[in-house]
Amino acid sequence: MALLNRSDWYDIARDTNWTPKYVTEDALFPPQMSDCFDIPREKWAGYDEPYKTTYREYVKVQREKDAGAYSVKAALARMKFFEGADPGWLSILKAHYGAIAVQEYAAGMAEARMARFGKASGMRNMATFGLLDETRHGQIQLYFPHEHVNKDRQFDWAHKAMHTNEWGAIAARHMFADMMNTRDAVSVAIMLTFAFETGFTNMQFLGLAADAAEAGDFTFANLISSIQTDEARHAQIGAPALKILIENGKQEEAQRKVDIAFWRSWRLFTVLTGPMMDYYTPLDKREKSFKEFMEEWIIGQFERNMLDLGLDKPWYWDIFLEELNDTHHGMHMGVWYWRPTVWWNPAAGASSAERDWLEEKYPGWNDTWGQCWDVIAANVAAGREDLLLPQTLPVICNMTNLPIVGRPGKRWKLRDYHLDYKGRRYHFGSEPDRWVFEQEPERYAGHTTLVDRFVAGLVQPPTIEGALQYMNLGQGEIGEDAHGYDWAFDYQNFRKQAV
Amino acid sequence: MHPLVVNFEADFVLQLLPVEADFTMDQVAEAAAFHSLNRRVKPQSGKTLRVRVQDADVPLGREVTVAQAGLREMETVEVYYE
Ligand SMILES: [Fe+2]
Ligand SMILES: [Fe+2]
Repeated sequence: MALLNRSDWYDIARDTNWTPKYVTEDALFPPQMSDCFDIPREKWAGYDEPYKTTYREYVKVQREKDAGAYSVKAALARMKFFEGADPGWLSILKAHYGAIAVQEYAAGMAEARMARFGKASGMRNMATFGLLDETRHGQIQLYFPHEHVNKDRQFDWAHKAMHTNEWGAIAARHMFADMMNTRDAVSVAIMLTFAFETGFTNMQFLGLAADAAEAGDFTFANLISSIQTDEARHAQIGAPALKILIENGKQEEAQRKVDIAFWRSWRLFTVLTGPMMDYYTPLDKREKSFKEFMEEWIIGQFERNMLDLGLDKPWYWDIFLEELNDTHHGMHMGVWYWRPTVWWNPAAGASSAERDWLEEKYPGWNDTWGQCWDVIAANVAAGREDLLLPQTLPVICNMTNLPIVGRPGKRWKLRDYHLDYKGRRYHFGSEPDRWVFEQEPERYAGHTTLVDRFVAGLVQPPTIEGALQYMNLGQGEIGEDAHGYDWAFDYQNFRKQAV
Repeated sequence: MHPLVVNFEADFVLQLLPVEADFTMDQVAEAAAFHSLNRRVKPQSGKTLRVRVQDADVPLGREVTVAQAGLREMETVEVYYE
């Protein structure tokens, strides 16, 4: 018997809606789990997902994707890329897996929420595939780093990181939980899939794949671009949901949620993706700067998506564009200077040739960030290890849980955007971070940053060593300079020749 | 222990600074300098470090203590060369 075409039966088969007789509508779809915008269910019948697939098609394609990624890994295992890889590149792998792999499972739970509580059957259908996608992303990104664990304990953090109180892990959990795991299905659709997955996953999974291919790491390049093909599909859950919200007079509230999620995503990427692209990737393998990738993948595309739907650019757009020049340089310097507190070995990326590249991509870098790296390089040359490591903690933002950074040197610009709420002072790294808090203060007020916990005496002994213990960082795991300070000697020699 | 948030001139990050309530502003500045000067910021000779509450127009007196200045815990202060 010939199979019917998909279009002949898809609309009927996916429509699993019925009218409940034994429970109320609200018991079947509790608003806090389903739709906090309270759009009547019949309006959700108009939800039209742009990407239609069936289970049979899905399984066939996914099987081929997995077979491809695993066979590239198996074929290249004999090439011993790992042994010859630049230490900066290995740091990218460690940071990526630790920050991402376990969060993929959390993303699976977010998809599951849409699959169960979405009132639109099209949303439920797509999110069911999304749940399978995220399960695949979790499994494959735990499996690939696992083969390196016996050579390098830091790779163990692919699984370990999210189960610790390491500061970067707290930051990732706080941000992803806010966007994915503590919202109703409709908010997840617009915050996770539209605001985050549409643009930002391209940065981490396609931009970085370009650098990976340049660096000769075809296993990783293949893996993350394979993942991105799934993201590109299930990221489309959000736009049709936004359309329905706007049609039903919820534009302002929808805009607010998109703005929150976009800002939070941006900030996390300044500490994760920014340093990888502009400092850790070996200079001759860099495809583009972080800022150029942002311009390509985020700015044009996201702006267009927003305007096409009838939304505006976020109110903080000018602040965001200015931050593209600065914030990730500060996050990088913070990670490098406090390197014992991370599970990878930060590459300074400040040799003379790298500094020329940074100055070209970010005019004024030498007068700002370069001023600090001058002092650091001089300390390396003088053997002052005591000045190369911190004796206190950076102050952490009560929204991002990342250090509060600004621009140093000759154009010093750094401030605390603080707020007093119910007798407690909260510190923020930017005006939009404070704004996010003010939108729903009770949602965020109870959380304590690592520094709050330190000040409250929860970290014992109250020293850097005590903080490392609190973060579960043991010997063989704590970060060191990826290149044993080689970059600094190179820069010092360059300076001597120049004099 | 009386923790402050320090923003040191020409540095890139806010830092936690544990001081005591009877520290003078000169002592606060010195304690703050330990975490920035010669680590990421070059010292400037012949100038004095002053302390002001973030956004204040004038610095706090050099002999004024943390308690006298009424600085709350985790108050954000700027330490800069005059
Ligand atoms: Fe994913
Ligand atoms: Fe996803």
